[in-house]
Amino acid sequence: MKYGLFLGCNTPAIRPDVERAIRVSMPKLDVELIDLEGYVCCPAFGTFPSTDEEAYLSVSGWNLSLAEKKGLDLLVECGSCYSSLSMGREHITHDEKKKARVNELLAPTGRTVEGKSKVRHITDVLYNEIGCEKITKTIGKQLDGLHAVIQYPCHTLFPHELVGFDSPPARPHILGNLVEALGAKVDHFSCEYTCCGGAGGFHRSSAIEAKTFAQRKLDAIKQETKAEIVVVSCITCLMHLDNVQKELNEGNGNYDLAVFDYNQLLALCMGFDPQQVASICAIPRDKIIARFS
Amino acid sequence: MPPNPLAQANHDLWKEVDESGELRYCFNCSTCISGCPASEANPPLLIRNLARMVILGLEDELLEEDTPWTCVTCSRCEEMCPQDVKPFELCLAIRRWQSQNDETRIPPSIVEIYHRGYTQAVEKNTEQRKSLGLPEKLPVLTEYPEELKKFQEMLMKNEVIKENDYMFKSGE
Ligand code: SF4
Ligand code: SF4
Repeated sequence: MKYGLFLGCNTPAIRPDVERAIRVSMPKLDVELIDLEGYVCCPAFGTFPSTDEEAYLSVSGWNLSLAEKKGLDLLVECGSCYSSLSMGREHITHDEKKKARVNELLAPTGRTVEGKSKVRHITDVLYNEIGCEKITKTIGKQLDGLHAVIQYPCHTLFPHELVGFDSPPARPHILGNLVEALGAKVDHFSCEYTCCGGAGGFHRSSAIEAKTFAQRKLDAIKQETKAEIVVVSCITCLMHLDNVQKELNEGNGNYDLAVFDYNQLLALCMGFDPQQVASICAIPRDKIIARFS
Repeated sequence: MPPNPLAQANHDLWKEVDESGELRYCFNCSTCISGCPASEANPPLLIRNLARMVILGLEDELLEEDTPWTCVTCSRCEEMCPQDVKPFELCLAIRRWQSQNDETRIPPSIVEIYHRGYTQAVEKNTEQRKSLGLPEKLPVLTEYPEELKKFQEMLMKNEVIKENDYMFKSGE
């Protein structure tokens, strides 16, 4: 299995330990990752999609054309990148007028786009192409006894016709099953399927309200579960749920839930160096990391 | 008598915002608000009200609205809307309409993307990357100056960018 790796910007710039985790764990599961030369912003929803549709689709087309030229589907972890690229691709493949215009804009750059390359989320590939059985066989049930909760990335759920691979879309289970494949026990709670609240302008424009929004989820986890960790598979969910606990603790909060990207846990279970695959965080992960020494 | 804003409304506003006209099927049920994280923002994002504003043609009010920019892009509203109005797409369409009618709405992040392909400085944190055993450099656009130039020329063909090209030239 081969995929074009689309990292986006937050992962390589702010949380490159997640990039390392992805780059070392996927080949162990027989997935080859190919870098795409000259890729750009997905583009994020707050950029060209909020300014001009043609500019949006030409930038999506630029990225898609790189994968298409190599005959590869794209593999994406970041929820926003996954959703923006999927929606961009949808416009280009299902609207002949838009496709023609995008190709007209791409032509002088020596590129074309048909929409042949699909956009795949990393949890979709892990679950549907690799499978839980193979994951368990590769690593053994290393997380035995650890309680976890899941943050499902909204961008991989809605609108399900366009981005979805889990079902039912509003009651997803795939990331939970992947975590169970590592031996952890997944606890359920009342705010399990709500958004993390980290993307877009909510947290920037309404810091107090956005913190309260996140606090509701964190309190539910504390009161209703035995979870020691939160598992995500989206760089925004990861950074936000980690950083917001620190922000709340600077007030009178007392939150200590370690937050992991799925591939970080996977890489740890495979025996990779915690310093390289899971060292950047706001809430300490030492207690969990100690399990692997 | 206070002036009646509806009498002076721009009845073609919906066409300017979204030609598809999907939003005319909105029947104000509020489903889009009930699951919306940004409906808890201050002031709240009430996508139903924005749809109403567009349909009624209240363009001055729409231009003033900051709330579309608090959307977290989760697409819950898109999933749940019983009338297939595509409220999230509407939210983006309103931002585009604002950007096209008021240059101060244009997100500065597009200028960064124009200059380096990205908003985050992907090409700069080489030390940290090295310490994690990663290749110091990624094959991002800035590594290929010729391609970067083509990328910029492609973007410059775009109306909004062309009309506001001063934003993109400064800093070069
Ligand atoms: S859910 Fe759809 S129909 Fe209901 S108010 Fe929102 S946009 Fe209108
Ligand atoms: S996509 Fe935006 S408007 Fe729709 S529910 Fe999510 S935050 Fe609210």
